[in-house]
Amino acid sequence: MSEGRGARGQRTRREPLRASGGTPAESSKSAHAGPMARSAGTQPAADELGAWKAELTPGLGTVDLIDGYDPYDPFSPIGIRSQVLEEPDDTLQIGPLKKIYLIWMVGASCDGCTVAVSGGTHPRVEHLLAGIIPGLPRVELIHTVVSTESGPEWVHNLFMAERGELDAPYVITWEGSIMDESVAGDGYWMGLGDDPQTGRQITSLEWLDRLAPGAAAVIAIGTCATWGGIPASKGNVTNAMGTMDYLGKDYRSAFGVPVVNVPGCAPIGDNYLETAAATLLFLNGLGPLPEFDELGRPAWLFGETVHRHCPRAGYYEEGVFAEEYGDHECLVELGCWGPVVQCNIAERGQIDGHGGCMNMGGICIGCTMPGFPDKFSPIYEVPPGSYLSSNTSRVAGGFIRRMRNISRIDKNMTPRWDKDTPSGWARSRTGPKGALKQVHKFYAKYQHSHESYN
Amino acid sequence: MCFKNLPIDFDANGKATLRDGVADPYAITAAKPKGYVRRQEGPGAQLAAPPKLRDWSIDPVTRVAGALAVHTTLDLENRKAVDAYSRAMLFRGYEIILQGRDPRDAIDISSRACGVCGGVHATVASLNIEQAFGVCPPPLGLAVRNLGEVGEMFYDHPLHLGLLAGPDYSTSLVSVTNPELVKRAEKTPAPGYEVHGFRTIKDIMDAMNPLTGKIYLESLEYTRIGRVMCMLMYGKYPHPSTLVPGGLSTTITTSSFNEYYTQLGKIFDYTKVMIATWDDIADFFLEANPAYEEVGKRPINLIQTGIWDDTDVYDATYANCNEWGNRRWAKPGIIIDGKLVTTNLTDINMGYEEFVDHSFYDDWTRSGSQRFATDPNGNPISPYNPWNKETIPRPTATNFKEKYTWDTAPRWDRKTVETGTYGRMWTTALAGQTPENPFLEATGDGLRMVLPRHHLPETEVFWKVPRSINALERNRARAYAMAFTSTIGMNCLLKAFEYWRRGETKVSTPFKVPKDERVSVGFWEASRGFLVHHLHMDKGKLLNYQITTPSTLNAAPRDPFGGMGPYEEAVVGTPILESVSDDEVKGIDILRAIRSFDPCMPCTTHMDTGKGTIVREVNSCGCTLE
Repeated sequence: MSEGRGARGQRTRREPLRASGGTPAESSKSAHAGPMARSAGTQPAADELGAWKAELTPGLGTVDLIDGYDPYDPFSPIGIRSQVLEEPDDTLQIGPLKKIYLIWMVGASCDGCTVAVSGGTHPRVEHLLAGIIPGLPRVELIHTVVSTESGPEWVHNLFMAERGELDAPYVITWEGSIMDESVAGDGYWMGLGDDPQTGRQITSLEWLDRLAPGAAAVIAIGTCATWGGIPASKGNVTNAMGTMDYLGKDYRSAFGVPVVNVPGCAPIGDNYLETAAATLLFLNGLGPLPEFDELGRPAWLFGETVHRHCPRAGYYEEGVFAEEYGDHECLVELGCWGPVVQCNIAERGQIDGHGGCMNMGGICIGCTMPGFPDKFSPIYEVPPGSYLSSNTSRVAGGFIRRMRNISRIDKNMTPRWDKDTPSGWARSRTGPKGALKQVHKFYAKYQHSHESYN
Repeated sequence: MCFKNLPIDFDANGKATLRDGVADPYAITAAKPKGYVRRQEGPGAQLAAPPKLRDWSIDPVTRVAGALAVHTTLDLENRKAVDAYSRAMLFRGYEIILQGRDPRDAIDISSRACGVCGGVHATVASLNIEQAFGVCPPPLGLAVRNLGEVGEMFYDHPLHLGLLAGPDYSTSLVSVTNPELVKRAEKTPAPGYEVHGFRTIKDIMDAMNPLTGKIYLESLEYTRIGRVMCMLMYGKYPHPSTLVPGGLSTTITTSSFNEYYTQLGKIFDYTKVMIATWDDIADFFLEANPAYEEVGKRPINLIQTGIWDDTDVYDATYANCNEWGNRRWAKPGIIIDGKLVTTNLTDINMGYEEFVDHSFYDDWTRSGSQRFATDPNGNPISPYNPWNKETIPRPTATNFKEKYTWDTAPRWDRKTVETGTYGRMWTTALAGQTPENPFLEATGDGLRMVLPRHHLPETEVFWKVPRSINALERNRARAYAMAFTSTIGMNCLLKAFEYWRRGETKVSTPFKVPKDERVSVGFWEASRGFLVHHLHMDKGKLLNYQITTPSTLNAAPRDPFGGMGPYEEAVVGTPILESVSDDEVKGIDILRAIRSFDPCMPCTTHMDTGKGTIVREVNSCGCTLE
């Protein structure tokens, strides 16, 4: 029984392990047999196990059985979902949604999007899964890389979702291109699980067919899932395509949402997590409906070209360009596509503000765009059009840069340093000389002419 | 010499030739796949009590990267696995997509074959291209590349130990399969308490619980630190943005090194803790039941290509690849039955063949003639060498006697070889040659490593070459691999400082794309071992680009000679040590065996397991298949 609130308002709890499903031993016999279950099994040491179960899992809440599976039952086949997590028992509930399932499915994927999201920090994925972000529902993740259950137990989650037996809505995140299984003959491009009745191989695409209609939302993550990406580029034997291509223009999720697209190869983990968090806040009645552009991208993330926030854009403005790999100036003449590519990596960085393409010296190869990779290749070739713009900037920016340098030299002098700096680091006079000095005198007069003390 | 099956001899100068008088040196004598055969007919079939055999198909195998399935047959009477089939479940066609492209694109496109180890693919593609183009990055470029790869490993090792393999030894799982072990763990004090702060083994196992355990969560955070280190040199992770032909395009400044080495201290401490933790866990399991040594055990046959170049020796040429290969921090090499038989990259390439008899591909040797009979140095190569390979996908129905995986079956000298992080420690330890340095010494029977102080004091650790290779030793070695990697990282950092002090600040060499015919090969290693890209180009376009990943080897199916792949060998013979009734067996020891390889299948394979039926099980890495 719950002990109620402690002295400082924190709840301490010691509830019985389960209130439904009979005794531990009974339930383990009936509903929780493992993959090897056969009817003639014996139950050695069941009492001992029962005692252990109570001892090992103090504080687990009471939950209802879902289709015979109790996610908090350590007797379930190995690691049915996050069996070790405690169901929060807050009385202070922010928003109506307490839990949501995230079914993460893959097609022609490299797992890079999964890896990118696991590196995200706003919010951290483990915080979403633990349900410890105020106002956000707990996210229960069904993902082959993370789940503790394997094989048929894992696939069972998908069957439950299809039959509407999950106790909360589910969102599908699709990673990787969609491969056309109709051109795979008797085989498959990507198999995922067997049908328990017939033993038939199920493809991962079949799961999208079965689950998309009932999903609260379908979020395509990464350039493969959004637009098709590399598997869909020249030489594509699997007839690969993006999620929208497959589900069609008219697709709407159970909540009425078209496919949401978070592109990038790999995407910035935080772009996905932030979009997910904003959507969950909206579903919980707390945040506004996030804004998406006409391709279903989060508009606040992909509305600008990456060049506009590039730390090297100032060099472009002044007409200074890197000539060799490793130089610190603007990379446009090394083949950077930043000025026309919609992405936010320049201001956001890759992980927790660190890294990023141009930030570190890498050219933009257009990996967030529907035209990637074919319209950006050969990747290290300079696009001819960029010379037009870079030479224009070389002329105008070159003039501006020289003017700025004149001012900068003057502004590096204190009023006291009329002729020279007292710095031992300086080799010779550093201030403006000769005619420039006169120019500065007049300029300073003009600059301060409107000020009242003159 | 090193070849026992292929008819290759070496003359007095060490030059390899095919043995005279062998008509068809690479002929295949096909044999029926070995598999467990039930007694179905003949005398005694009816009389003997039918063995309690159960088929079990694990599809998907979870907590591995990518799509893997394994079909196994369990003998519940003798409590062990008697058959296994490893299946890679995904095909995307990267090798075909690369054909006809500008060779420079291989860096960015092949990187995207695997998002779990995208940095190593981009790097090996760079090595491959610089060999084809005839350019060598400047010394600082090589040093920075080494540092980037050290960073990448520090994302991968914690991921494996904390998030993928670790939970198999956690309280939440062990309490289901072996409650008596949890009881025992509670009473067993942890010898490494002073280092890791866990009083009992049970405390460690609690900390390994998925999603809530301290080690699990800390490891996840350390994957981020490793990635930040990698990004300081490689720009972005996964899929680096600053690897270019001829070196790197990273703008290296004082800040790059500053931010890198300020992370290293944390890494040293984390390494000390993880070694103590995994020593305690492995010793506890082996003491509680010595049969754990049999879990995932297979013969000690290893293949490694080496990683982290000596920046003074590497020259990007195939002609000198044995010289610079042998000077790598982690040595290339082949170990057969525990003996180091060669450390030459040319030998590795000469003996390396890929077979597709049990894979969803057509055999390319049946169409047309062999493109290359020798490598650029004149050594003989097989028609099954990747330089001669062609990727011809042919998806068909799964049949364990015929074709059952998207992975190919790579073999060396027609033997099943395994690769892994532990493998490169193994070759380095046995080779016993490390340059003079304060941090790392290969002693011939192990690796002595000194981890500098941070919050925890300076610590010397010694990884002794294990007497057998099994699930627990693979994982334990992975913890020691962090010491191996971080001490190499420290050496590479000091080297980079040296160039930086001397004013050698260039990180790339200018190049031109050659218009004539070129062949080249990049040798490098992923976190899980062996990684090779083969290239053939002409007129500035790729004619053939072949990617072989560590999980291509490890998740391999049976070969035409009837031998099993490494996962299959490791699963067959693995005892079922669960203390529950037959009906409650979860197969955790099978999964431990597979996960200890750190399968990474995004480009490799996928396995399937069906409820109540034993199926074949395959592990692979997303980078294995293509």
